[in-house]
Amino acid sequence: MSVTAVLHSEWIKIRSVRASLGSLVAVLAVALAVTLLVYSTIGKAEAENGGDPVFEAFYPVNFTQIAALSFGATAVSSEYAHNALRVSLSAVPHRGLLYAAKTAVLAGAALCVGLVSSFATFLTGQAFLDEYAVGIGEPGALRACVGGGVYLALMTLFAAGLTFLLRSAVAVLSLLIPFILIVSFVIGDIADGVSRYLPDRAGQQVLYQHPAGEVGPWAGLGVTALWAAAALLAGWLAVRRRDV
Amino acid sequence: MTSIDVKDLTKRYGATRAVDGLTCRFEPGRVTGFLGPNGAGKSTTMRLVLGLDRPTSGTATVGGRPYAAYGEPLRAVGALLDAQAAHGSRTARDHLRLLAVSNRIPDRRVDEVLQDTGLAPAAGRRVKTFSLGMRQRLGIAAALLGDPPVLMLDEPANGLDPEGIVWIRRLLRRLADEGRTVLVSSHLMNETAAFADHLVVLARGRLLADLPVEDFIDRYSHPRVRVRTGDPVRLRAALRAAGHTVEEGADGRWTVEGARAEEVGAVAAREGVPVLELADERASLEQAYLALTAGGTEFAAAPSPSPTAPQEV
Repeated sequence: MSVTAVLHSEWIKIRSVRASLGSLVAVLAVALAVTLLVYSTIGKAEAENGGDPVFEAFYPVNFTQIAALSFGATAVSSEYAHNALRVSLSAVPHRGLLYAAKTAVLAGAALCVGLVSSFATFLTGQAFLDEYAVGIGEPGALRACVGGGVYLALMTLFAAGLTFLLRSAVAVLSLLIPFILIVSFVIGDIADGVSRYLPDRAGQQVLYQHPAGEVGPWAGLGVTALWAAAALLAGWLAVRRRDV
Repeated sequence: MTSIDVKDLTKRYGATRAVDGLTCRFEPGRVTGFLGPNGAGKSTTMRLVLGLDRPTSGTATVGGRPYAAYGEPLRAVGALLDAQAAHGSRTARDHLRLLAVSNRIPDRRVDEVLQDTGLAPAAGRRVKTFSLGMRQRLGIAAALLGDPPVLMLDEPANGLDPEGIVWIRRLLRRLADEGRTVLVSSHLMNETAAFADHLVVLARGRLLADLPVEDFIDRYSHPRVRVRTGDPVRLRAALRAAGHTVEEGADGRWTVEGARAEEVGAVAAREGVPVLELADERASLEQAYLALTAGGTEFAAAPSPSPTAPQEV
């Protein structure tokens, strides 16, 4: 089969379902909305308190990562509504090809939008901070912008892999969102050791000018990549042998 | 010519055998009705042919190859398994386009099948606004996309209005006349007998019958003639003399068991009895089918023009 044709078909799948296209757009829209809301109001006050000047610029990532997870989960779960996967596999019976094509299109779309979202967050937010603003030339800033985009793409893939495994966006999102908003946050304050290797904590190291602890910025992103790879592998093992 | 070949196919889900040692061949150039009560294994067989489920043992091939071996399979087999499978949030056109694109089928075919199935005016509407009948049409449109030599439709008449049923009968007939293999599942005998040329009957995963519709009717339906006459006394005497059993119905009609209209007509003509009404009745087809499937009656090999021998059960 033609790989390009299958990739194209997967892209049509994403853009033709409101939930998945909406989540993808939200990765950018939420970033802009939160940035405008937060930095135009309390941005300077927060900057006065000090802290890591680069990481402070990426506060909206707390929200955009939820959109990224939703994008991964809903794009995959649309295959599991009403046995849609039967139709998909009738058109592309090579399961490995279908799985790889969907993953690749998700990764590509999430990376493009994630990078734009990440740069937009940084540049827009700083525009409100006057004397506290840091430029893209600030040490670590460019790395954080690029890394932030990659981080969002990896979170998309993490959710996608889990959705292939669990076959439900609701299940995956009700697992991951509380985990990221609450569990990771709480555990992070209690047990600093293990929590460094949680997918969100590790990946967000790349957003710091001066990452603390033994996990470096790129290594942290690597840890998140391993989480995503593990989820995708589990998803693939399920898809490969399951009757649909 | 592309046929579907099923050999010793078995599919077990836990302890239940959904398909149990099924061997049969679905031939081109005719409409094959795939019959059986719910749970007989019809849909499972279709999923096994498409490689969606893995057989416990045995094989299912299309034109001698497994379905997954086709490079652009929508051009080989068009299938409608579940009319609900199109995502509600997509438009009909997007649903068909993403399928067409994956198999490098030109966009123009999308418009053609929308036209052929009467969905062109609704092409831009989201599928969730569709009635069941429209979803069936969309599923049929998807099956026709690749202009395939083999069509496999699971209960395609479900939810269609009377006009839609006439339409699908004509469509199936045309597709078979074009030399395609047309497999249509149903759990209704009378409905299937109206459009099928050949029947394959399953119950509890096993093959019960594999024969032309005419043979099934001859074998299982009990012929009976309904007649109304202006001179019942003479006609009854004449029919009894000819060895027929005659019963009087409540509405002044008479039924002649085991006879055909031409025989009764000939008797009446010989006697010069005026006949007001004369018709063959085949009342027992559905019952025969129910008895066959419910009782698990074994069906002995029937003469069949196909090389397929009904299998021992």
